[in-house]
Amino acid sequence: MDTNPTLLRSLLTDLHFWIPVLVLLGGLAVLRWIS
Amino acid sequence: MVTVSQPAVTRDRLRQLQSVGMLCGFGAGAWLGAAEAPTKLVTLGLQPVVVSLLMVVGVFLARWSIPALIRGTGQMTWDFRQAPHLVAWAVLAGCLWSVANTLTIFAIRDVGLSIAFPLWNMNSLIGIFWGVTLFNELHHAGARRWLSVIGGALLMFIGATVLAYASAAQTTAEHTFRGIVAALAAGVLWGTMYIPYRKAYLTGMNPLSFVAFFTIGELVTMAGLALAHSGGLEVLRQQLASAKDVFFWLLLGGFIWVIGDLLQQYAAKYLGISRGIPLSNTNQLWGVAWGILVFGELRRRGPLAYAEVIGGSLVMAAGAGAIALSSVEGDEHGKWYEAAQRESTRYKVASEYVQAGLAGAEVPASSETAVRRSPLDWVIVICTTAIFVGLAVIARLPVLSLSWPSVFVLTGVLLIFLIACGTALWRITRFS
Repeated sequence: MDTNPTLLRSLLTDLHFWIPVLVLLGGLAVLRWIS
Repeated sequence: MVTVSQPAVTRDRLRQLQSVGMLCGFGAGAWLGAAEAPTKLVTLGLQPVVVSLLMVVGVFLARWSIPALIRGTGQMTWDFRQAPHLVAWAVLAGCLWSVANTLTIFAIRDVGLSIAFPLWNMNSLIGIFWGVTLFNELHHAGARRWLSVIGGALLMFIGATVLAYASAAQTTAEHTFRGIVAALAAGVLWGTMYIPYRKAYLTGMNPLSFVAFFTIGELVTMAGLALAHSGGLEVLRQQLASAKDVFFWLLLGGFIWVIGDLLQQYAAKYLGISRGIPLSNTNQLWGVAWGILVFGELRRRGPLAYAEVIGGSLVMAAGAGAIALSSVEGDEHGKWYEAAQRESTRYKVASEYVQAGLAGAEVPASSETAVRRSPLDWVIVICTTAIFVGLAVIARLPVLSLSWPSVFVLTGVLLIFLIACGTALWRITRFS
């Protein structure tokens, strides 16, 4: 099994990961704006 | 990097997996559509975010008890030991779901269901986009399948628009721009939520394990949003206290929704998100069927409304049929295999585990070491059952005129779907 720091690096350098993260932040910003 | 496409499964096996995925997609639509029915029994003036929070509590209970009953928490733990990074993906997907769900509440408030629903229903088109661009879906699929999937999804979108227009009781347009932005944002969030889904299933994750961690992100985010939007802890507590005799109906709605969602997860696993998600979006057809047949929602409307419902349903069914006919063949599945290998290499997941997931099989080690039920599994199942029985005892059935024959017929259809999907999943994949 891989070590956690390596796994974390794999996650953080995965472009696919940042797409939903940015969309989530955008969604929270919209929610804050409309409420 | 792997550059050579190679089929991960035989043609016959692929056909079996496609059939079970297709069945699960249609089953998901029926169950997701029925999940609205119990919430229609709640007529108290609860804040929408509180209604959502209570449904998510039911969702949370179901997402742990059903997997514990079917496979056991030992198997779930074993799954995540093979691919621990997927915990982060599952929680992220849960967060996306909750924010999207809350946005839909504001969208309905500001522009009404008939405008909001089609806007957020474009999530399946976004899912197709991510499936094609990130996960090699529809690659080497041929023009006919492209046409079937994209054309089918567009037909479903048009059908959904007509249905939403016909079934909406009223439209309000107080804050049009704000409502449209909220609905579009919800569609983008839901469509993007399918990235974690596909990531998990290409890696070989079992849907029953994935949803258990998904719901942690879902419950925590929903609780935070309910606190923020209900006016603080004390107001939220008062709202919850005033709603205790309808807890059962809201939690039941969440429970039914989870069965639909689980079937949707299996459809996404075996058909991919470009086909599985549009098929499960037939939930709107079933939601309208429950509304009209059981709750008499079009009773005071003219023949035009019925014509719109029938027309919209036919267009939507034609779209779903087109997608159902565009099954995945060996060349495209080879491209899925490449995308799966990419995940295996990046996150150092055993390729045996990834391949078994693509083939709808268990890795031998998992069935030997972890499939046994533990006392924890029975505690989860018994506690969930006790909570539902307790809430059912204090639940109040509001005085509403329901068509009971329709309730029995539609419930029968749900059970047929459940038995058919459960049997197929067990026979073909052992719920893997």
